Amino acid sequence: MKSKALLFVIVALFSVLAFPALAQDGPTEITWFVGLGTGTDTAQLEVQQNVVDAFNASQSDIHVTLNIAPSFETAWDTFATLVAAGTPPDIVGPIGVGGSHRAEWLDIGPYIEELGIDLSVFDPSLVALYETANQGYSGLPLLVYPSVTYYNRDLFDEAGLNYPPAEFGAPYVWPDGTETPWDYNTLIEVAKVLTVDASGNDATSADLDTANIVQYGLNFQWARIRLIWTDLQPENTYYDAATNTVSMPDSWREASHWLQDAIWTHHVMPNRAAAVSEALGAGSDNIFQTGKLGMAITPLWYTCCIGNSVGNFEWDIAPVPASLDGEQHVAADADTFRIPASTQNPDAAAQFLYYLATVGIEQLAPAYGGMPALPDFADSYFEAKDAAYPWGVNWQVVIDSLEHTNSGSQHHESWLPNWSQVYDREFAFQTEVEGDTGADVDVDASLDQLIIDVQSIVDQPAS
Amino acid sequence: MATVDQSHTGALPPEVALVGTKNKSGSLQRQQRIWGWIFLSPWLIGFVIFTAAPIIASFIFTFTRFNLGDGSVTFVGLDNWKMLFSDPLTLTSLGVTFKFALIAIPFWLIVPILVASLLNSKSVKGKPLLRTLFYLPYIVPAVSAIFIWQSVMNTQAGWINRILRLLGVQDPPAWLQNESWILVAFMIIGLWGIGNAMLTTLATMQGVPTELYEAAEVDGAGPITKWRKITLPMISPVVFYNLVLLSIGVMNYFVVPYIVSRGTGQPGQSTYFFNMHLYKTAFAYGNMGYGATLAWLIFAICLLITIVLFATSRRWVYYSSGD
Repeated sequence: MKSKALLFVIVALFSVLAFPALAQDGPTEITWFVGLGTGTDTAQLEVQQNVVDAFNASQSDIHVTLNIAPSFETAWDTFATLVAAGTPPDIVGPIGVGGSHRAEWLDIGPYIEELGIDLSVFDPSLVALYETANQGYSGLPLLVYPSVTYYNRDLFDEAGLNYPPAEFGAPYVWPDGTETPWDYNTLIEVAKVLTVDASGNDATSADLDTANIVQYGLNFQWARIRLIWTDLQPENTYYDAATNTVSMPDSWREASHWLQDAIWTHHVMPNRAAAVSEALGAGSDNIFQTGKLGMAITPLWYTCCIGNSVGNFEWDIAPVPASLDGEQHVAADADTFRIPASTQNPDAAAQFLYYLATVGIEQLAPAYGGMPALPDFADSYFEAKDAAYPWGVNWQVVIDSLEHTNSGSQHHESWLPNWSQVYDREFAFQTEVEGDTGADVDVDASLDQLIIDVQSIVDQPAS
Repeated sequence: MATVDQSHTGALPPEVALVGTKNKSGSLQRQQRIWGWIFLSPWLIGFVIFTAAPIIASFIFTFTRFNLGDGSVTFVGLDNWKMLFSDPLTLTSLGVTFKFALIAIPFWLIVPILVASLLNSKSVKGKPLLRTLFYLPYIVPAVSAIFIWQSVMNTQAGWINRILRLLGVQDPPAWLQNESWILVAFMIIGLWGIGNAMLTTLATMQGVPTELYEAAEVDGAGPITKWRKITLPMISPVVFYNLVLLSIGVMNYFVVPYIVSRGTGQPGQSTYFFNMHLYKTAFAYGNMGYGATLAWLIFAICLLITIVLFATSRRWVYYSSGD
């Protein structure tokens, strides 16, 4: 009798384990994986859980569970393991444009129609970021981070300089009243005045002690080389998908020389060794926050990381300088949520994605630090930022920047085959120029080698 | 002579008795073998699941395009092996690894011998303390040690450069940001790991028969001659042992460059070691098939180096047993 009961239990257990679908009776279970971008900070966890709880309470067909990666550094490993094990998450994010090139995502085009999502409420350049080669969409614009020029008001005052222009198209006004276009040449000249050595000489002086610079004029805070190239001049000729060939645009060569000169000839930008020195952030590379950097060009997400400025110095934002062609272009980062192509529950995931994009985003955007792509939610975002930085930051620059964002193949994280490998190879070039021997680097020869290597990488089968 | 019919004594003929004993002992041996396998089985099962199967699987992966990003596996024949010759990063990373091997192995081999010789000297006081001090860094976790060394080698604030400035060096190197200096910096960091090699060398030195030194002294040999003609040959087996371990270790060098360059191989590609390429290919780029191929390539290189070292060892390693 006992053995029959035991047999029954074993069979029942086997049935439950082997045929989970038969055992499942209730809402569709889906998982939201967080960690491939922002979202793992303690404060963010609470907000995300609140959004999940609110969604679960709002209906009974779908039940969402959060899966938080232990850290950003290990998140891709965790995600890859989940996919390889056949248990992929159903929704992933927030995740940037570049990071999304590392996996296969579901085309949500059919769901956009089915759920009645109106794409016209978004800026077209942001929608274009998520268009796929087959006219579909891999995500919805949710959070956008245009590049801006952060500047330290105190250092400008101390140097007797006027602040950078407050709006696009306005010139830079020098203390003697002369005006010059707000471009990358002017930027260098302003940065020279802001770069000071231990004896108080600035970079306009021949007496500047380059080994003892205590304050720098400019940095592209945490920017990778393609973002810097694109800041100076967006191009769509780097990778030609039709012929699968890579070539170096002339403007990017010019931009590379500009970068090398800024670091090693004008000495207005810190090299690698200086960037990780005790004086400039002790290895964190967060130079602007130390109060010893005049200007930093970087996307809006950097507001995440200058909390220490409060009480120490006041900063503001200005438009990025005009590019080498004299036009205004803005490189913008963007975050979204995506559905892995291997999800078992695409319909439920799409419904939750729609909820995040239209309801959850109001709570999530301030927590993530990105400006909501939906204009309706922009005000609450800036109110939260004003509360954090109460001296009156010119947020209008952010709104105006959206008119100038680079999209499609001009985007600094636009796709090309084996994107991650190319990204790493490009960074190797950047560290050559920024490294301690950067002054001696033959930029043209290094760029030629870079193109040879990148071509070889894109020629390899996609990984 | 009378004969006895043994069939009436009750005793079994010797050959029959032997068969019975054999049966008993065979059964016992079989039982012992079974129990032996049972007791060994936890390790064996673990070995098969966690070592043998992954080794075989990784070899099979070399013939596939196994994408971790979407979990897809496609048979591609020898494509991954062919790619070894066209992938620029494979050549670059092998170049970095061999360059570092040429710099680091002699240094990491010689310094423990010199330290062990120092500690074996009669004229050095406080040997137990010195032995402990030299061995101590070996037990510091590698990651902690690397973070400490990053501070020590900081261009502006690190105490190495502070000392160099005090000594009059106006422009000391940016150890970890300079392509020319960073491998030297790694070599210096690696000195923290010499404790084990130093200890085994010292133990071998202390085992050298004293009568050899006494006989050499009678023949008029000085300290350097004794060290060169007696100590060095007698410790050559342990030098060989350290050389083999170092060669394999350098081919698999990963943790230090990975942490220092944050997995980028910077500055430039100067710290893009082969194992970093392997790791990034398999786990960062999700190309498990090609990653497995890289793993088998470095295994083959390690095997070749080891074979060459063993082949040459007969010429310079002294074995007292004659083996």
